[in-house]
Amino acid sequence: MPIPTLAEKLQWLKPAPATDYEKECVQTIKHGSYEIGVQITNDILDEAMEVFVRSSRSYFGVSGDSMVAIFTAGGDLINGSCGTYLHAIIQPIIIKFILKYYQENPGIRDGDIFYTNDALYGGIHNPDQVAIMPVFHEGRLIAWATAALHTTETGAVEPGGMPVSAKSRFEEGLNMPPIKIGENFHLRNDFLEFYSVYGLRAPAMFISDLRARCTTADRVRVRLLEQVEKRGVEFIVGLMRKMLDVAEAGAFQKVKALPDGKFRSVVFNDAIGWTPALVRACFLTLTKSGDRLTFDFEGTSPENPSSYNVHTQAVVGHIANFMYEYFFHDLPICSSTFAPIDFVFPEGIILNPDKLAATSCCVYIGMQTRCATHNCFAKMMYATNLWTQVASAPGSQHTAQICAGHSQWNLAVSDVLSFSLNTQGQGGRAADDGMDAYGFAWCAFGRAPDCEQVEGELPITVNLSQHWKDSSGPGLHRGGSGAVQQWMIHKVPNMLSLCMGNGSKVPLGQPLFGGYASAPIPGISVRKTDMLARMREGDPELTLDHRELLEDRSTHGDWTFELIARTPKMYSEGDLLFGFSGGGPGYGDPLERAPESVVVDLKKRIISEWTAKNVYRVAFDTERGKVDNAQTNELRAAERKARLARGKPYDAFVADWSKQSPPQEILQYYGSWPDAKPTGPVFRP
Amino acid sequence: MTTTGDRRLRITEYLDLDLDGEIWLCNRCNRVLGPARENYKRGLLLYDRDPREVHPPIVEGNFSFAPDPLWVRIVEFYCPGCGTQIETEYLPPGHPITRDIEIDLDALKKRLESGELILKNQRLEAAP
Repeated sequence: MPIPTLAEKLQWLKPAPATDYEKECVQTIKHGSYEIGVQITNDILDEAMEVFVRSSRSYFGVSGDSMVAIFTAGGDLINGSCGTYLHAIIQPIIIKFILKYYQENPGIRDGDIFYTNDALYGGIHNPDQVAIMPVFHEGRLIAWATAALHTTETGAVEPGGMPVSAKSRFEEGLNMPPIKIGENFHLRNDFLEFYSVYGLRAPAMFISDLRARCTTADRVRVRLLEQVEKRGVEFIVGLMRKMLDVAEAGAFQKVKALPDGKFRSVVFNDAIGWTPALVRACFLTLTKSGDRLTFDFEGTSPENPSSYNVHTQAVVGHIANFMYEYFFHDLPICSSTFAPIDFVFPEGIILNPDKLAATSCCVYIGMQTRCATHNCFAKMMYATNLWTQVASAPGSQHTAQICAGHSQWNLAVSDVLSFSLNTQGQGGRAADDGMDAYGFAWCAFGRAPDCEQVEGELPITVNLSQHWKDSSGPGLHRGGSGAVQQWMIHKVPNMLSLCMGNGSKVPLGQPLFGGYASAPIPGISVRKTDMLARMREGDPELTLDHRELLEDRSTHGDWTFELIARTPKMYSEGDLLFGFSGGGPGYGDPLERAPESVVVDLKKRIISEWTAKNVYRVAFDTERGKVDNAQTNELRAAERKARLARGKPYDAFVADWSKQSPPQEILQYYGSWPDAKPTGPVFRP
Repeated sequence: MTTTGDRRLRITEYLDLDLDGEIWLCNRCNRVLGPARENYKRGLLLYDRDPREVHPPIVEGNFSFAPDPLWVRIVEFYCPGCGTQIETEYLPPGHPITRDIEIDLDALKKRLESGELILKNQRLEAAP
């Protein structure tokens, strides 16, 4: 079987050399017409993205957690509309696989539609599915168009598309290598029948999203061909090649300007499936030398028999999210921007598992590679005139709650409550706080779905949507606040729900330059509550302030606080679930935060009085919120003095520190302590 | 060599690099923190903080919105001169301290000497 090897994948990430025809075509592109051409690709992609969002049914689709893209005939990405940057760099792997292996059988012809969701062949994880169409002009392959979107159902052992209990790929439902699903611009009915049985839990959403991908890819194809008719095929082919060349030159220039050296970051994860377990999710050594960067993941924990593993190109996808949001923010979404970047993935680590590995929950580990990348780049970029692009990682813990069963309209549903994904806090920045509820750590442009639409399609009522107090990491520039919703099962007798995630025991991501990380998130449910009855009665004492609800438990019922990743359970009408999105880690010493900003945070209910007094050391009048600057200065001076008194010199500290270790029972998936080497083989069913 | 400021480079919010002396300095109080070819953390004061002192539990039990101190600690790094918190690391108890910054000083000096990079307002820029 020609499953791409690691070497092939890494090679296919790099742009293919220009063909003679492309070189001829580039000569036809003049200044002015090039810039117009680039904007034409933007317009085509933005129109197609609009089509995509409007024709999708899943909440990932509605939220815009997707990507539409154009590729050269050789399979290199020249521009994309995002959505999420997760797929931006890695989809060339899929197209280059098709070009290498499918030319003769099944053939690549005008009107074909290819489709895949298998991470072994270049995707992120199997809920992420992509439709791929070749673009032909007068019999010549001139480009490719794709539309990728996460679907919250795959026919796995659990609803929701990301089975937390899966131990191998065989428990993850549909895992489909690239396959031709349509010919002559028509989807094949035999494929639709095959595909649809994997979506029986949510047939309307499953099939609608498939068609949305195909429709979107075709819209790109049609618009490209209109431009070919208008401007000539040489213009379009030359434009695409020039876009690759210009982006590549820009990337080399940006990388070269950084200081040379080695930069390291280590981040941890606290759940492997439903098992609380500590792993070193990413040990990153980033080496900058000349005009090249090398990401080396030596020292990362070994793979494990759960779905919390990441195939290598999915790691690159997570890093692309950082690169395009920050370092490459002024370059086009073009795969040649990664030409200066190399990767080293030791065999058998959690970021390079065996082909039998389950990876459907890979995002919880993959995100930690993004977090580590933030910190390494911060320490490399701060010395340059790009310092304002320095930021802590975004909040990456969240409640990924799946609703499955039947809606109040008796339609089968299986979807994620994506508010708590798309409202995470941005990390504190070198020049400002992180933005509150800025977006999805995996998709900066994702948006929280409309509450009434969610209530209309899923069997829940959204009782509250608020900033989550004390969720963000304190600092000179605090992290952006996360958010919280309370969901009440409503208008159905029962609903099945499970939850994916991590970050209940250990804050995810590292803060920057003396800041603190963001708060962990437990899984919370309340059964047999009086909430619904009190709402019906119009009880004036009923509070919907999330912090009061948690601290006072004035909503009566059976409260459960547990690991955020939870097995499927049945809930009854009136039961409550809480969904949280993580705040961003902080930047800088909290004692340097302007006291007035602390009081503003307090008034906005972003932080508590406890945090203002005990972390920021600000004195203020609690009635009027007026800062007492003199007393604040005294408090802060006293805290600095206390630091000097309690801090130990490095060697003395390490002598005591190195004698400690976490409890042995949480290290079962860590590898050897502390260097995370494999301690035995991984067996998978 | 082209410079438009002094020979001091901002490496982090609180950490400066004196290129001529090859030393780390605190940006806030100018305290010399040690040789720039070594880990700057060796020149700081370290403290092992219970994470619940910064992220307090708001409910009782094992899942309380606070980090579990058996799983993770906050290692705080202070400037020994002014007490500024220069860095923090969230690490499992006993996990080795990360050497996060290792600037290739020889390469940096060479690039400045050649004019490929210029130093402006204590930051590096590619020469125009």
